[in-house]
Amino acid sequence: MKTGDNVVLEVSNLKTYFFTRRGVVKAVDGLDFHLRRGECLCLVGESGCGKTVTALSILKLVDSPPGKIVEGEIRYDSLDLVKCSSKQLRQIRGKEIAMVFQEAQSALNPVLTIGDQIMEQIMLHLPLERNEAQNRSMALLREMGIPSVERVMKSYPHQLSGGMKQRAMIAMSLSCDPTIIIADEPTTAVDVTIEAQILGIFRSLKEQRQLSLIFITHDLAVVAEIGDRAVVMYAGKEVETAPVSEIIANPRHPYTAGLIRCLPDISRPADRLVSIPGFAPNPVELPGGCAFHPRCSEGMPICSQQAPPVVELSTEHRVRCHLYR
Amino acid sequence: MTDKSQDTARATDSPTYGWVRLAGYYWQRTRVNRLAVFGLAFILFLVVMALIGPFFTLGPTLVDFEQKNLPPAGFATEKSVYSTATGELTITRVPGDWKHPLGTDSKGRDMLAMIVSGARVSLQVGLLATGIAIFIGIIIGVLSAYMGRWVDNVLMRFTDVMMTFPFFLLLVLIIFIFGPSLAFIVLAIGLTGWTGTARLVRSEALSLRTRDFILAARAMGATGGRVIFRHLIPNVVSLIIVIATLSIPGVILAEAALSFIGLGDPTVASWGIVLEAGQSSLDTAWWVAVEPGIMLFLTVLAFNFLGDGLRDAFDPKSRI
Amino acid sequence: MRKSWLRDYILKRLIYSAIIAWGILTITFVLVRVGPSSPADKYLANMAARGQDVSQVIAAIEARYGLDRPIHEQYFDYMVNLFQGNWGWSFSTSMPVIDLIKTHWVYSFQLILLSSLFAAFLGILIGVYSAVKQYTRTDYLFTFFSFIGVSIPNFWLGVMLILLFSVKLGLFKTYYDTTLPLFSLANLKALVLPVITLGTGMLAGYVRYTRSAMLDNLRKGFVTTARAKGLPERTVIGKHVFRNALLPLVTIIMFDLGSIIFGGAYLTEIVFGIPGLGQVSFNAVFANDYPVVVAVTLIGTFLILLVNLVTDISYTYLDPRIRYD
Repeated sequence: MKTGDNVVLEVSNLKTYFFTRRGVVKAVDGLDFHLRRGECLCLVGESGCGKTVTALSILKLVDSPPGKIVEGEIRYDSLDLVKCSSKQLRQIRGKEIAMVFQEAQSALNPVLTIGDQIMEQIMLHLPLERNEAQNRSMALLREMGIPSVERVMKSYPHQLSGGMKQRAMIAMSLSCDPTIIIADEPTTAVDVTIEAQILGIFRSLKEQRQLSLIFITHDLAVVAEIGDRAVVMYAGKEVETAPVSEIIANPRHPYTAGLIRCLPDISRPADRLVSIPGFAPNPVELPGGCAFHPRCSEGMPICSQQAPPVVELSTEHRVRCHLYR
Repeated sequence: MTDKSQDTARATDSPTYGWVRLAGYYWQRTRVNRLAVFGLAFILFLVVMALIGPFFTLGPTLVDFEQKNLPPAGFATEKSVYSTATGELTITRVPGDWKHPLGTDSKGRDMLAMIVSGARVSLQVGLLATGIAIFIGIIIGVLSAYMGRWVDNVLMRFTDVMMTFPFFLLLVLIIFIFGPSLAFIVLAIGLTGWTGTARLVRSEALSLRTRDFILAARAMGATGGRVIFRHLIPNVVSLIIVIATLSIPGVILAEAALSFIGLGDPTVASWGIVLEAGQSSLDTAWWVAVEPGIMLFLTVLAFNFLGDGLRDAFDPKSRI
Repeated sequence: MRKSWLRDYILKRLIYSAIIAWGILTITFVLVRVGPSSPADKYLANMAARGQDVSQVIAAIEARYGLDRPIHEQYFDYMVNLFQGNWGWSFSTSMPVIDLIKTHWVYSFQLILLSSLFAAFLGILIGVYSAVKQYTRTDYLFTFFSFIGVSIPNFWLGVMLILLFSVKLGLFKTYYDTTLPLFSLANLKALVLPVITLGTGMLAGYVRYTRSAMLDNLRKGFVTTARAKGLPERTVIGKHVFRNALLPLVTIIMFDLGSIIFGGAYLTEIVFGIPGLGQVSFNAVFANDYPVVVAVTLIGTFLILLVNLVTDISYTYLDPRIRYD
């Protein structure tokens, strides 16, 4: 894969393990990807495949007693985020790399006002006076399409609707002009109309501000709408990486193909919804060889014995599957 | 050949089988907590001591001035005797004696006997008073939850009033008015300590009312009484056991405190009374104050450990 | 709109407290009248001990206390008297009860105040530290000690402290010296042991409750958000987590410690000979001086009622979620 000068973030061989009483959970097991300026990279996969842990690992927000980044490099702006000091990390969090979480109600502090929470971040990173920070916050909220910003600034999270809370969170993440925004399933907990609005906001952010986005989702439809490139994950590993158009039109990995088949097509008659047989594997006891082989329609004998390596089908398309050796 | 399947069916049918198995499961979870096990062990030790102790010890009220102020076995104090005849101050060493393993107090009463007697008193008061308090609490809680808004309002206001009284001050007032006999002490503690239980039982009962399995039972035609007994009670039993275990130390301390300030029953040797005597002889016989206090402390600690362990074991959300 | 809501809420709580106050007074009245010996008997016993003519005294009592009047008139008088501050006459000290209270309340006040400050300050600090460092040895140590602190009978602790520090080591006097001026260093020194005695139980309580309230909040979503914003850890814990932990903490402390403080103070005063209201009540019990005993009980109860009221109203400030109930 060519990594040009336009790369803002490069993740190499990231391994984040959780050491629990019942065994070691290899939530992320050797993940590689890169993010270019102005592009939206989607991390796709079922629940438990490691996408959220990946996002948290980038900013080292993983719960540290059970979890630990055991190996890997995360290069941002000549720094290795895995190895840098906490002081350097705190300069990056919220200022260069910001995060938007899945459920706005639990991600926002219920006893502080929206204004307080946004301004707190601004005044931490930027040399602004209090009223300047306030104006900046209100401008951001307006940009997000929130009406009556003065009232919202003084409101508490529980007084706002789901969509407004999510917009406020996005405004908060933008407050210090970050280079990268990591969005962890921001539309999963909201209904379709709000989802459309939020996706619209992200799209315009990408276009107008040249923002780089890492968008985590399990919904391929969302990927199709907003993603430029996608990394499909399964059991902590990357199984396929490609531009979104290619993934949709020409999925190479059986898992990706299965995911696409699951999307119901309104134009075609069907009587049964298609799904991928089987269940997501127990993270403590992963199947040997390729983790997907018990559910794979193209399984070969070698799949249960050897873990497949990553194969580069083209400069932009990689697959981890024995089919392409 | 016996039909095994029928046996199993019969065994699992009866409600008691369910109880036994459930109790076993909870015991497994409690066992893991070593502190709780220590607590239980100590309590059992106390019970044994209270039951058979009096047969092995001297009478706790036996006064013997010859033997006064003996230290516990293994310790020794000094007694200075001023002889008027010779005008000399001789200091003799007075060692402890195994006849009075824990020493004696200023009136020569055997400490061990008093400790044993105190254990009896504390356990009796603890169990009885807590039993009364829990009983009243359950009744009020259930009535409040099931008898309608008006009853609930009145009962809860009454509970609020009772809760506002500082527990100990109210106790002092009641004993002052009615007299310091052991029976009244037990009654007084029971009649003032039910408020916490009532609140908890009521809130559990109210929340259970709307839970699906109760609605299912009613849909199947279960009447109120049946619902209460077969469904409500088993669910609050674990809660009540925890409340009871954690209330007992408070009760024991209350009785000890009353005895300590002189409002206890003067006819029984309670730990509190011994402690009071001990305070006035701190310089001559420090063990009189130390021993009952240690027992009180360990008893309270034991019940707290056990109660805490039981609470963790019963909590479905915690994984052990 | 918000102001009037607050006013209505306060009014509602005041009325409610008035009802509870009525209940308290009624129950006390009932208790006293239902007792085996009437107040007259106690007074009689006193007077007889001083060699007065019994029949004359009975007549005087009946006239003065109106004991020959029907019960509801007595009840009415009782309520009116209490409101007017006529709390009866203390036989044993030959002064109006209210004067007795006035001379002695300071001692109780200083003991309770110092102990509460000591316990709250230290307890909250240790509790927060313990929660943040959960599973470390320091945490286990603190938790163990708080168990012990809660279990030690406080009057025994007092006696043991006297034994150790006064009798054996001679650092403090064995009894409280009442001749010391209140705002003197010597007075403070004399209060050290009593404050430790009363404060230890409270301290252990504070540690446990703070720790538990903090732990409940440490795993919540907004904590990760706060860290993702780049906030230093001490702000995350001190501002975000603590503000949320404050509400359940205040609830528990106000309800639980309210009762424990007075019982504990009563005993501590007796152990150390501090002439506060507890000691006053104690002396009155043995002098059969019932108005004093009743008065002290009522004072304690009404203080708790007041604290409950204040706490209720302060909730509206601490938890914004309940404002628009």
